[in-house]
Amino acid sequence: MAVPVEEAIAALSTFSLEDEQPDVQGPGVWVSTERGATESPIEYSDVSAYRLSLSEDTKALNQLNALIQEGKEMASVLYTYRSCVKALPQLPDSMKQSQADLYLETYQVLDLEMSRLREIQRWQASAASKLAADMQRFSRPERRINGPTITHLWSMLKLLDVLVQLDHLKNAKASIPNDFSWYKRTFTQVSIQWQDTDSMREELDDLQIFLSTRWAILMNLHVEMFRVNNVEDILQVLIVFAVESLELDFTLLFPERHILLRVLPVLVVLATSSEKDSESLYKRVKINRLINIFKNDPVIPAFPDLHLSPAAILKELSMYFQKFSAQTRLLGLPAPHELPPREAQEYPRQYLIINHIGAIRAEHDDFALRFASSLNQLLLLKSTDSADIEWSKEVKGSMYDVIVEGFQLLSRWNARIWEQCAWKFSRPCKDPVPLELHETSTSFSDYEKVVRYNYGAEERKALVELVSYIKSIGSMMQRFDTLVADALWETIHAEVQDFVQNTLATMLRTTFRKKKDLSRILSDMRTLSADWMANTSKSESELQSLQHGGDESKGNFFYPRPVAPTAAQIHCLQFLIYEVVSGGNLRKPGGLFGNTGSEIPVNDLKQLESFFYKLSFFLHILDYTATVATLTDLGYLWFREFYLESSRVIQFPIECSLPWMLVEYVLESRNAGLLESVLMPFDIYNDSAQQALVVLKQRFLYDEIEAEVDHCFDIFISKLCEAIFTYYKSWAASELLDPSFVFALDNGEKYSVQPMRFTALLKITRVKLLGRSIDLRCLIAEWMNKVFRENLEFLFDRFESQDLCAIVELEKLLDILKHTHELLSKDLSIDSFSLMLNEMQENISLVSFSSRLASQIWLEMQSDFLPNFILCNTTQRFIRSSKVPLVSVQKPSVPHAKANFYCGTQDLNSAHQSFARLHSGFFGMPHMFSMARLLGSRSLPWLIRALLDHISNKIATIEPMITGLQEALPKSIGLLPFDGGVTGCMRLVKENLNWGKKSELKAEVLRGIKEIGSVIYWMGLLDIVLREVDTTHFMQTAPWLGFFPGADGQILHNEDGGSPVVNLFASATAAIASDPNCPNPMSFHTISKQAEAADLLYKANMNSGSVLEYTLAFTSAALDKYCSKWSTGPKTGFIDITTSKDFYRIYSGLQIGYLEETTQALSNNNEVLGDSVAWGACTVVYLLGQQLHFELFDFSYQVLNVAEVEAASITQTHKVHFAQGWEALLEAMKKARRLNNHVFSMLKARCPLEDKTACAIKQSGAPLHRIKFENTVSAFETLPQKGA
Amino acid sequence: MARAGGITNAVNVGIAVQADWENREFISHISLNVRRLFDFLVQFEATTKSKLASLNEKLDTLERRLELLEAQVGTASANQSLFAT
Repeated sequence: MAVPVEEAIAALSTFSLEDEQPDVQGPGVWVSTERGATESPIEYSDVSAYRLSLSEDTKALNQLNALIQEGKEMASVLYTYRSCVKALPQLPDSMKQSQADLYLETYQVLDLEMSRLREIQRWQASAASKLAADMQRFSRPERRINGPTITHLWSMLKLLDVLVQLDHLKNAKASIPNDFSWYKRTFTQVSIQWQDTDSMREELDDLQIFLSTRWAILMNLHVEMFRVNNVEDILQVLIVFAVESLELDFTLLFPERHILLRVLPVLVVLATSSEKDSESLYKRVKINRLINIFKNDPVIPAFPDLHLSPAAILKELSMYFQKFSAQTRLLGLPAPHELPPREAQEYPRQYLIINHIGAIRAEHDDFALRFASSLNQLLLLKSTDSADIEWSKEVKGSMYDVIVEGFQLLSRWNARIWEQCAWKFSRPCKDPVPLELHETSTSFSDYEKVVRYNYGAEERKALVELVSYIKSIGSMMQRFDTLVADALWETIHAEVQDFVQNTLATMLRTTFRKKKDLSRILSDMRTLSADWMANTSKSESELQSLQHGGDESKGNFFYPRPVAPTAAQIHCLQFLIYEVVSGGNLRKPGGLFGNTGSEIPVNDLKQLESFFYKLSFFLHILDYTATVATLTDLGYLWFREFYLESSRVIQFPIECSLPWMLVEYVLESRNAGLLESVLMPFDIYNDSAQQALVVLKQRFLYDEIEAEVDHCFDIFISKLCEAIFTYYKSWAASELLDPSFVFALDNGEKYSVQPMRFTALLKITRVKLLGRSIDLRCLIAEWMNKVFRENLEFLFDRFESQDLCAIVELEKLLDILKHTHELLSKDLSIDSFSLMLNEMQENISLVSFSSRLASQIWLEMQSDFLPNFILCNTTQRFIRSSKVPLVSVQKPSVPHAKANFYCGTQDLNSAHQSFARLHSGFFGMPHMFSMARLLGSRSLPWLIRALLDHISNKIATIEPMITGLQEALPKSIGLLPFDGGVTGCMRLVKENLNWGKKSELKAEVLRGIKEIGSVIYWMGLLDIVLREVDTTHFMQTAPWLGFFPGADGQILHNEDGGSPVVNLFASATAAIASDPNCPNPMSFHTISKQAEAADLLYKANMNSGSVLEYTLAFTSAALDKYCSKWSTGPKTGFIDITTSKDFYRIYSGLQIGYLEETTQALSNNNEVLGDSVAWGACTVVYLLGQQLHFELFDFSYQVLNVAEVEAASITQTHKVHFAQGWEALLEAMKKARRLNNHVFSMLKARCPLEDKTACAIKQSGAPLHRIKFENTVSAFETLPQKGA
Repeated sequence: MARAGGITNAVNVGIAVQADWENREFISHISLNVRRLFDFLVQFEATTKSKLASLNEKLDTLERRLELLEAQVGTASANQSLFAT
C-alpha cells in the first residue's frame, strides 16, 4: 500500500546526516524543478484562460522574449569572439605555389566565423523591426487591443538592452573588423574563379558597413521606429517606468537595475529626437531626475570587463542623432575619464567596497542571526502539532520578510562588486608599483593596470570578505530552500488573498461604488485570483472559531493555502492595477502612480501601488533557487575577453586573475579572520565555469578556466600546507621555549605565535571545484606526511654536516618537530612520529640495531671526536683541540632550508639557535643526555659495543709500538738518587730515557692511550647519564611492579608475591567477569594478560648494570693477551724494582717526557692530548695490576719526592735558589700526580681489583698474578671478541 | 476606447480559477516533496562521501603501518640464521 508522501519524506529526516563539515564554500548543488517564474514556464499560454483579451499582447510578449534569448546568445558569441587572423599560418617562400590553396582554406575557416556575424546582422535587423512594430502597435492613441502589460514593458526594455549591448560590443571588439578585412581579401582572391559573385559581394559590402559603423544597430532601430512617427508615447512610458523603478529601487534586483541604467540613456536619446518630443518628455519627467540618475551611476557594468558610461553614450550618440545634440544639459555630463578632480574623488567613496565594508559586515551579522532565528521558529512550528493559526501566520510572515531582506542584501552586495569592478576598469592604476622585486619591467599590460595593481591590500581584503558574505548567505538560504518553500507560498497566498478578498472588497464598497469601469476592473482582479474555498478542507468547528475571529477583524477570513499564484496571475494582476491607475491612457501625464488629479483617492492609490510592487517581487521569491543562484553568481570576476583582445595575448598569467589574487592575499596576509574564507574565491571559478558552459556556451573558455583552476589549486595546496606547517612549527617552538625566560624578556611577545584557526580547513573532506569533489583533508595529510619526512631528513643531513657537539641542537629540533606533530595530530591524522623517525633513521629492520644516527655518531667519534677532541677533567667536558687537527675531516656543507624546517619563524629560529650555540663548543653531560635519549635502548648497545671494540683495536695497535719502546729502554733502571737534587734526577732520567730511534713512536703511543682514555671517560659520562635515566625509570615503575629500594641500594620485592599492577587488573577482571551483565568479559581477560606481560617486560629491564664497569671489565679482558708482555711476572714473587719492561715504566717515561714538553711554552702538549692520556694510561696500569709499582717508581713521582726533600733541606740551609728552572715542570708533575690519583681512586671504586689481588696470594706466599674478578657483569665472557 | 477588464464570462472563470487553486495545491505539494527527496539524496551523498573519506583516511594510515610491519617482518625472515640458535 502506498505510503503518504509527506510521511515518507518525514521519515527520511530520521536518518542522521551530520558530517561535521564546516561551511566554508558557497552553494554548490542546485536542485530546482521550476523553469523560473519570472519568465513564465509555459510562456503565458494560460493568460488567455482569464479572458482578458490579452492574446495579442501575449503573442508579442513571447516574440520579444524569444528575441531576447536569441540576442543574448548573439552577445555571447560576440563577447567571446577571438581573432582568427592571429592564428592563420603564413606560407614559407618555398611553398608560394600553393598560396591559392591557403587562401581557399583561410576563406573557409573565416567564412564560418563571418557567417555568424552575418547572422547577427540579419538578426538585429529583424529584431529592430519587430521591436519597432511592437511599439507602434501599442502606442497608437486609438488603441484597439489590450496592453502593453507591465511584463511586456519589461520585455521591451530587455530587448532594447540586448541591442544596446550588442552595439557596444561590436564597437569595442577590434578583432572583428580585422578578421573581416582579412576575410574580404581572401574572398577577392578566391572568388576570381567563381561565377556570379555579385550578390555575395553586395552582401559583403553590407556586412562591412554594418561592422565598421559605430552604433549601427541603434541607428537602424531609430530608423525602424520612426518610419511611422508615433512611438514617442511608448518611449515616454518606458522612460517613466524606468525612472520610477530606479528611484524606488527596492523591488529591483541588481540585474534589472543594471538593465534599466543601461537602457535609459538610449531611451532618452531616442525619445528626444524632436523638439516637441523632448518638451513633452520633460513635462512628464523633469530633466533633473534624469541627470541625477546619470550622475549617480557614471559607470555601469555591461560585460565582465566592459562597462558603459551614460554620459559617454549620450555624447557619442549626439553625433549620430542630430536632434539630440540640442540637449546641452544632458550632454554637459562629464564622462568618467573627464570627471573634475573634486568629483572624481567623491565617486570612489561610493564605488569602493572598503568604504562600505563596515556597514556590510554589520548587516551580514545581523541578517545571519535573524535568518537563523526565524528558521528556528519555523522548525518549532513544524514540530508542533496543532499550532495557533495566528502564531503560525506570524512565524511564516517573518520568515518571508527575512528572505525578502536576504535577497535585497545579496542583490545590493553583488551589485557593489559589479560596480566596483566597472569603476576599476574605468580608472586603471596610473603608476603601478611592481609587487615583486624581480619584476622590473616597466611595461604593464592594460589588464594588469586595471586588475592586478588596481586593488590594494585593503581592497582585496574587503573583496574577499564580501565574496564570502555573499557566498555564505547564499548557501545558507539555498540549503533551506525546501524547508521554507511552503511557508513562503503560504505567505504570498495570504497576501494576495488578503488584498483581493479584503482590500479590494473595501474599495469596491467605498470609493469605486460609483465608477463602473474601474469597479469592473477591480472585480476582474478578484475573479482571476481569489481563492474563496481555501478553508473548505478544515473541520467545521475549527472553521467556526476562525470565522468568529475573522468577524472581529472585519474581513473575509480565509485559510492560508501553501500555493503561490502563477506567473500569469501576477502578470494579469499587475496589468489590471496599471489599467486602474493609468486609465488605459498612455498619454496620461505624470508618472505611474503619480497622483495627478486622477479620480482615485490617495489612500487607495497607495495601497494599489504597494501591492503592485509587491507582486513584482513575488516572482523572485517563487523562483527561490534561481534567484539565489543569480544573486550569488560572481563568475564575471574571472572573464577578461575584452582585455585579452586588446592586449594581444592568449591568456593572462594567474597573478592577474582576480580570484587567484584573492586566494593569494588570504594566504599571505596570515589574517586569522580571513583564513576560513580562503576557499570562497574558488567559488568564483565555479561560477565562471558554469557561465562559460551555460551562458556563453564556449568550450574553450571552460578549458581555460579548468586549466587555471588546476594550476591554482596545486599552488594553493602547497602554499596552504606550508602555512599550516609553519604555523604549527612555530607554535611548537614557542611552547618549548623556557616560559620564565620569555617572561623576563622585554620583547618576549615576538616569540609568541598569533593563534590561527586551521581546524575548519583541516576538516574539509570535499571541496567542490568544477563539479569535482576534492578531499582537501587527505591532500593536506599527504603533504604533511611528506614534509615531516623531508624535515627529518634535513635535520639528519644537517647533523651529519656538523660535529658531535651538534647533537644537543639536533635533539632540540627533533623535539620541536615532535611537538609540532603532536599539535597537528590533534586536528589531522598523520603517520605516527616514531614511525617516520624510524623510517628516516633507516631503523626499520628488526635485526639491525645501527640506526642512521648511531652510525653517524660512531663515524664521527672515530674520525673526529676521538682524535681531535681533548678532555678537561675538571669541567668534565671534551673540547676541540685548538691545534691543527691531526686527522682532517671532510664533511658535506650544511644544507640550506627554509625557516620552517627549523623553528618556524626567524625570531624563534634565532632564539633557539642562541640556545644551541651554548652547546656547540664542547661535548659534555648535556650532549650525553641528548645522545642517550636519541639513540635509546635500541642503538645505544650497538654504539657501546663499537666503542669497546675500538678500545681493543687501539690496544692491539699500540702493542707493537710499546714493544718497540720497551726495547729502547735500558735493561734495568734504578731508583733516582736523592743527592743530585732535581737537576741531577732530570739528567739521570734523560740518560735513561734516551729512546733512540724509537722516539717517533712516543707520540703515536700517547695518542693511542689518549683515545683509549677518551673512550673510557666517555663511557663514564654515559654511565652517569644512564644511571640517572634508570633511576627515573625505576621511580616510575617500581610502585607498579612492587619493588622498593633497600637500605644498601638493593632492590627488594614485595613479600606477598605478584606485582601490584598484575593484582590490580586480575582483581578488576575477576570482579567484572563475575557480573552476569558484562557483555564482553574476554576483553578484560586480555587486559589482565597484557598486564602480566608488561610486568615481565619491565622486571626484566630493571637492573641494567653499569656501562663503565662493563667497559673496564672489557678492557681488562682485552689486555689479558698482552699481560705477559707488559708485565713481567716477578721471578722472586716480590716487587722487582729495576725492571724496565713493565707497562708502567714505559708510561712513566712517556709521561715525564710530555710533561717536560708541556712546560716548554711553545708546544703546549696538553692542548693536543688533554687529560684523557692519564685516564687511558692509568686504567691500563691499574688493570695490569701495576698501580702500586707505578706510584712507587714513576719518574716524575720520584722527582717530586726528590724535590720535596731538596726543598726541605734548602729551607734548612736558607739557600734561595733551589731547583732553579724546574718550578714549572714540578708544578706539572704535581698536577699529573693529582690527576692520576683521581683516576686511580675512581678505578678502585668502580673496579675493585686490590682485594682480589690481595687474596690471590698462593698458599706458598707467592702472589698469584692476574685473576679474573667476578664482580662485574660477566656478559663479556659470552661476548666474542672481535677477531679473537 | 477599449477598456481592460472585460472578463467575458466571469462566473465560469471564477469556477475555473477555484479549481485551478485546488489542482495546484496538489501539484505544488508533490513537487515540493520531490524536491525534498532530491535534497535528501544530495545531502545523503555528501554525508556518505565524507564518511567514506574518513574511512579512507583510516585505511591509508593502516596501510602504511602494515607496510612498515611487513618490511620489518621481511628483514627478520630474510635472516633466518640469526634465529637458528
